[in-house]
Amino acid sequence: MVENILNAVAAGLIIGCLYGLMCIGLGLIFGIMKIVNFAQGELLMLGMYISFYVVAGFAAIGVLGPYVAPFVGALVAGPVLFGGGALLHRFLLTHVSGLSTAARLDQGGFGQLIVTLGVSLILQNGGLIVFGSTPESVRTPLSAKAFIIGPFGGDTMLFLNQARIFACVVAIVIAVALWLVMERTRLGKSLRAAADNPVAATYMGIDVERAYRIAFGLGAAITAVAGGLMATYLSFTPFVGLDYVIIMYSGVVLGGMGSILGAFWGGLLVGFVQQVSALVLSPQLQNAAIFVVFLLIVGLRPEGLFGRSAERA
Amino acid sequence: MTEKITRRTAVGLMGAAAALARPSLALAADDVEVAMLVPLSGPWAEQGILEKAGAEMAIDDINQAGGLQGMGGARLKLASVDTGATAETAKDAAQRMLSQHPNLAGGFGCWLSTFTLAATEVTERAGLPWLTLSYSDAITDRGFKNVFQTAPTANTQAEEIVPYLMKLAQGATGKTPTKVAIIGDNTAASVSFLKPIQDHVLKQQKLEAVVNQIYTPPLADATALVQPVRGAKPDFVMLLSTNNGDDKIIADSFTQYGMPATKLPLIGNGGHWVVPEMLKTAGKDILQDILIGLANWPGKAVDELSARYVKRTGNPWFGHNEIFAYAHVQMFAWAINKAGSADKQKVGDTIRTMDITDGPAVYFPGSHLKFDDKGRRVDAQLVIVQWQDGKPVTVFPEHMAVAKPVWPTSAS
Repeated sequence: MVENILNAVAAGLIIGCLYGLMCIGLGLIFGIMKIVNFAQGELLMLGMYISFYVVAGFAAIGVLGPYVAPFVGALVAGPVLFGGGALLHRFLLTHVSGLSTAARLDQGGFGQLIVTLGVSLILQNGGLIVFGSTPESVRTPLSAKAFIIGPFGGDTMLFLNQARIFACVVAIVIAVALWLVMERTRLGKSLRAAADNPVAATYMGIDVERAYRIAFGLGAAITAVAGGLMATYLSFTPFVGLDYVIIMYSGVVLGGMGSILGAFWGGLLVGFVQQVSALVLSPQLQNAAIFVVFLLIVGLRPEGLFGRSAERA
Repeated sequence: MTEKITRRTAVGLMGAAAALARPSLALAADDVEVAMLVPLSGPWAEQGILEKAGAEMAIDDINQAGGLQGMGGARLKLASVDTGATAETAKDAAQRMLSQHPNLAGGFGCWLSTFTLAATEVTERAGLPWLTLSYSDAITDRGFKNVFQTAPTANTQAEEIVPYLMKLAQGATGKTPTKVAIIGDNTAASVSFLKPIQDHVLKQQKLEAVVNQIYTPPLADATALVQPVRGAKPDFVMLLSTNNGDDKIIADSFTQYGMPATKLPLIGNGGHWVVPEMLKTAGKDILQDILIGLANWPGKAVDELSARYVKRTGNPWFGHNEIFAYAHVQMFAWAINKAGSADKQKVGDTIRTMDITDGPAVYFPGSHLKFDDKGRRVDAQLVIVQWQDGKPVTVFPEHMAVAKPVWPTSAS
C-alpha cells in the first residue's frame, strides 16, 4: 500500500507539472488576456505533431538520438506556434479582443467563442486531412523506462517514468522563465497593463494590439511545448486536444484567473487529484474526482485557489 | 450583340448542369449497393480505414470475377459512411446513410460496440440487414431481427479465452494459475467481456482477481492501474482496453515496472492491439509476447488472400478488421446471388436462413455461417494471436495456428 501511495503521489506531481505548463498557456490567453479560446486543445495537438515531424520527418532522431531529439522537437514547437498564434490573433482574434472590444458589454466574449470554436473545428479536420487518422507518437525508449528509487524497507520502490520526469523538468524551467518574464521585464508589465485596462494602457503609450498578439503567441507556444513534451509518452491523433481542453480550463479557474503561477498550481492540482484519487476511488472516476474538487474549491473560494496572490500577477 | 445572363437563367443553367452531371455520380441502373458505416475520423478512425481497405478489395474481387451472378452480372458498390467519434454521431450517420442511399441491399459496421448499439437502432427500424464484428452481447440481446453478429460475442470470448490461458500456463510452467489481474475500460465491449468473467468464469477456473481496475478512456497515465499489479503478483493480466493510445500507455507502464509480457503474461483483447500502427507507436520490444484474443484473424487457409492484400495495400499484414470487412462484403454478395435480388428484405431472409461451410464461410474461424434466433453466428470461435518478433501470429485454434504460443516461464 505504501508503494501504491508513493507512486500515485509521484505520478500525480509529474503529470501535474505537465498539466501546469498546458494551463499556463491558456492562463496567458484566457486568465490574463481574457480571450476565451476553444482552440487551445488544438494548439496542444499541433505541438505534438510539430514535435513528431521534427523528430521523425527531419531526422532529428538520427542526429540527436532518441533521448534528446524528442525534447528538442518539443522545444521547436514553441517558436513555430508562437508565430502561428500571433498570426491567428492578427488576422482573426484582433476583431474580437483588445481595444476593438473594450467598449462592448461582453468585451468580445461572444465573438471569441464563435471564432475560436471555428478555428478548433478547422484545425481538427484540417489535421485529419494533413496528418491522417493514424495514431502517431514520438518514439523514445524513455517512455518505457523508469528511475527506480529504493527499496525503502521490504520491496517498496518508487518508479519514476523517465520520459515524464524529463518532460516535467523542462515544464518547470519554462514555467519559472515565463513567470520571470511576466514579473521582471518591461514586456511582462506591458502585457499585464494591456490586459488590465486596454484604454489606459494606450494612454500610457503601450501598443495594446501588439501586446495582445505577443500574449496570444506566447500562450500558443507554451501549450505547444507542453504538447510536444506529452508526445514523448502518449500516442495522438488530430482529435487529442478534446481530451485536454477541459483540464486546461479547470486548472486555470482553479488556480485563479490572471496569474501565471496560479495557472501552473491549478494544473498541478488537477494532475495530482486525477492520479491520487485512484487510491481510494475506482480509476473510472478519476476525472469525476477532478470536478468534485473543482466544485469544492470554486464553491469555497470563487476567486480560485491562489486568487489572492494571483490578482494581477 | 451581347446577351445578358440573368440570375434566373444562371440558376436554370446550374440546375441543368447538376442534372446532367448526376448520372455520372449516381449508381448505374443495375448496380447494387452495400453500406459500410465505420469510424473514419476521430480516435477510432484507423480501425475504420483498415476495414475500408478490406472491403474495397472484396468489392474489386467480386466485380473482377464478373459481378453478382444472381443479378445478371450487376456490379457491387460500396457506400462508405463515417460514424464520427461518438455514439450520437454514429446514429446520425446511420440516418444520413439511409436517406442518401435508399436502395441499400445491406450494410455492416460500426467496429466499436458502443457505436454499433446506437446505429443499429436506426438500421433495424429500416429493416436493413446489418452485419457486425462488434463484440458486445447487448447488440444481439435486444430482439432485433436484422442484426447479425459474425464475431463470437464478448461473453463467448471470455468463456473461451480463460480456460485456454489456464491450459497454456499449466503446460509451460507446470503450475495452475490461481491469481489474475484485470485492467479494462468501461466501454460496452469491455463491460460485456468482463461480466461473465466476474459472474462465473473466475469461479469455474478457481481464479482470484487480485487486481480489478476499470478506467474511463482515454488514459493520461497508467500508474494507478499498473502499480497495484506489482504488489499483487498475479499469474497473468487481462487487458480490456479499446484503443491504441491506451494500449501503448499500458504496455509501456508494464515494461517500466519491470513486468513486460516476456516476464508476466499480458493478454489483450480486440483488433486494436494488432493494427500496424501499434508497432509504430509502441515498438516491437514492448509488444513482444503479448497475447491477444480476437474474433477473427487470417489463418493458413487464406494465405493467398493475405499475400494479395499486402501486395495491394503495402500494409504489413491482413488483419482482424480487414478480413472481417472482406468477409462481410463477400457474405452480402453470396446472399444477393442466392436471393437473386438486392431487395433488403430478401437479402435479410437469405442471411437469416443461411447454413454454409464454404464460400464466404472460409473467412471466419470455424468456417460455418449460420445464425441463431438472436442473430449470433453459430460456431463462432475465438482466435488468439501473439506478438512475436514485431508481427502478430496466430497461435490458436490449432488448425489456424502458424506459430506456437510462448508463455513466460519466469511468471510467478
